[in-house]
Amino acid sequence: MSAGARRLSPLARERLFAWGLLAPCLLTVCVFAFYPIASSVALSVHRIVLGLPGLGEPFVGLANYQRLMNDPEAMLALANTVVFVFGSTALELALGLVIALVINESFKGRGLVRAAVLIPWAIPTVVTSQMWRFLASDNYGLLNLLLYGRQVEAYRAWLADPGWALALVIFADVWKTSSFAALIILAGLQTIPAERYEAAEMDGAGPWRRFWHITLPALKPSLAVALIFRTMDAFRVFDLVFVMTQGGPGNASNVLQFYGYKKMFAEGFMGYGAAVAVLVFVLVLAVSAVYLLLFRKALFREAA
Amino acid sequence: MAVLGALRTVGGPAWAALAVALCLAAAGCGPEGGGGRAGGDRPDGVIRFVTWKPNVPEAWEEVYRRFHAAHPRWRVERELGPHSSTAFHDMLTQKLKNRSPEVDVFLMDVVWPPEFGSAGWALALGDRLPPAEREAFFPAAIRAGTYRGRLYGLPFNIDSGVLYYRKDLLDRHGFQPPETWPRLVEQAREIVAARRRAGGRHLAGYSGQFKQYEGLVCDMLELILSAGGRIVDPDTRRCRLAEPAALRAVEFARRRLVGEAAPRGALMYQEPESLALFVQGRAVFMRNWPYAWAVSNNPDKSKVAGRVGIARLPHFPGRRSYSALGGWQVGVSAYSRRREGAWAFARFLASPEIQRLMATTAGRAPARKALYDDPEVLRAQPHLARLKEVFLTAHPRPRTPLYPAVSQLLQVYFSRALANPHEPLEPMARSCCRQVEELLALAAEAQEGGR
Repeated sequence: MSAGARRLSPLARERLFAWGLLAPCLLTVCVFAFYPIASSVALSVHRIVLGLPGLGEPFVGLANYQRLMNDPEAMLALANTVVFVFGSTALELALGLVIALVINESFKGRGLVRAAVLIPWAIPTVVTSQMWRFLASDNYGLLNLLLYGRQVEAYRAWLADPGWALALVIFADVWKTSSFAALIILAGLQTIPAERYEAAEMDGAGPWRRFWHITLPALKPSLAVALIFRTMDAFRVFDLVFVMTQGGPGNASNVLQFYGYKKMFAEGFMGYGAAVAVLVFVLVLAVSAVYLLLFRKALFREAA
Repeated sequence: MAVLGALRTVGGPAWAALAVALCLAAAGCGPEGGGGRAGGDRPDGVIRFVTWKPNVPEAWEEVYRRFHAAHPRWRVERELGPHSSTAFHDMLTQKLKNRSPEVDVFLMDVVWPPEFGSAGWALALGDRLPPAEREAFFPAAIRAGTYRGRLYGLPFNIDSGVLYYRKDLLDRHGFQPPETWPRLVEQAREIVAARRRAGGRHLAGYSGQFKQYEGLVCDMLELILSAGGRIVDPDTRRCRLAEPAALRAVEFARRRLVGEAAPRGALMYQEPESLALFVQGRAVFMRNWPYAWAVSNNPDKSKVAGRVGIARLPHFPGRRSYSALGGWQVGVSAYSRRREGAWAFARFLASPEIQRLMATTAGRAPARKALYDDPEVLRAQPHLARLKEVFLTAHPRPRTPLYPAVSQLLQVYFSRALANPHEPLEPMARSCCRQVEELLALAAEAQEGGR
């Protein structure tokens, strides 16, 4: 040990050691989280058109954001994104709760059912999307066969209908990620002590009352975690739309992330595309902050 | 934890920017990293060729084998991109935008050269290709490869929309292939109705590409031109979608084609889906590219092999037929450090020998006119003889460095018009036109600035 290090007080040494331990994590966060955000924000205040280097890359202030607010296609994509986020999360939590309650009971073959429930979540989203695109096909889709049997004339082109396209994208997401919500809720269910149910039963509480007064309140933290995770994840929806509809027909199923991607990577409007990305970021941040405030008690019960 | 998760949601662009930064930081990878490590870690003499996943891999193996035999100094290493033109564009431009020296030669869709030339990604090849040699290609293909007087792409193959029809069904009703669009819908209606009366399998009248994607622009361009309309006037840079002829064509497409002759599902069809319907024997007519000829006559893949006819696309009464120009061109990257080898390979791909090989083994229509009288080509692909005239008059999509953005606007307009047949068309067309003209003005402004 060098003379310099020995001269440090124990407290300072402790601090140095703490920073040393934190450094890899901080560095990772800076490189992989803060830097990309900062660079997106920086891009979004410039006008950069890849196909036209003659324009230069002038600083344009908030012009891209101003344009974004007046861009009807972007606003349509925003509305679709909001419908997707809240529609899919609500359904996923409800379905996840049901699944969790079922696989929490003990019955024959439970292990098998638990594994089966996880399969949709384990399948890559691109594969899920392609599968649902096939299922909804007007020519060979299973969906039509189930609904209309051999009445081929009645077969519908679900994804070609502006009203149904987004609904099917939501449906595919619910199919895929409900099991994720179920997993988190199941973890919450298993922390509820059995004595509570026994005591309630002794006092004459039926299954409904036990659910409303014991299960649901105890699940609040898990539900809050699932809600926040699913909401943030849903805001990033891209692959489902990319594979199932490409935003069509007539942008009826377009979402913000896909819109931003097209602006940036297909059309080469780097500044404008970055503005879309920043808008998504701000939205997710805002919604997460609201949720954190709302569920502060449920989430940080132990700390309080 | 939640905040961290939120930070992660910033998504693609930021990650891409980060990747670029990391790449620049690593010496030898960025544009400044030149010097002793020209071309990254590749051994000397290796040319990197960015191409799509081939339909007929054997044909391409033969191309590489012959090139290596003829040019022992060079070795081609290929990098495969996605098959969809739009996805391929996203991947390729990503590399070129980062000035990657890992790309020497690439394939360009026929609509890209203005963008690639303007952005400085593709090398101008003009001084290397004497004017006499240019004459050998279809003029439309050479024009498509040219931007502001400079040639950026060597034509590799040519494509054009054509009409396929069920010869057996038309014969049974005593019909000739339809000359006009309304006649096509009438014939389809009669054939479909007769099939229904006979209690046969459900039959669609028409199959085409109406999904919101690049192909939709081609299908709609053909309809608009054959009604006497235009999408954009190339001289005045004015958008003409809101004029009566163009409106009439779109109105026809949404009421008589998608609404009546074609199944509604066609709103989600790209080439493969439209072809699937036709080769299953479930459509009377189909608009598609020439490659569909070989597939629909292959008994392994088609239930209607030998019962298929091919014709020029119809037109509206009193007008003439047009086909959209498609096809691929070969470009050389401006960031290539193996320009000699790159040029040798590009010229090789555009040579008569290779275009003959691709025509006979992969069914790709050559971009060289003389091959349409070539006995070997005609023996393998007899239908090409009839297509030469179609290719000679093939019409380009709007030519601008901002074509990808223009195309997005057109796709949204057409898709929305077709999917919502009761919404008034003219306001939609006007709004689309306003935005298209804005883009064209921006491109013009950049040109003035660049002068």
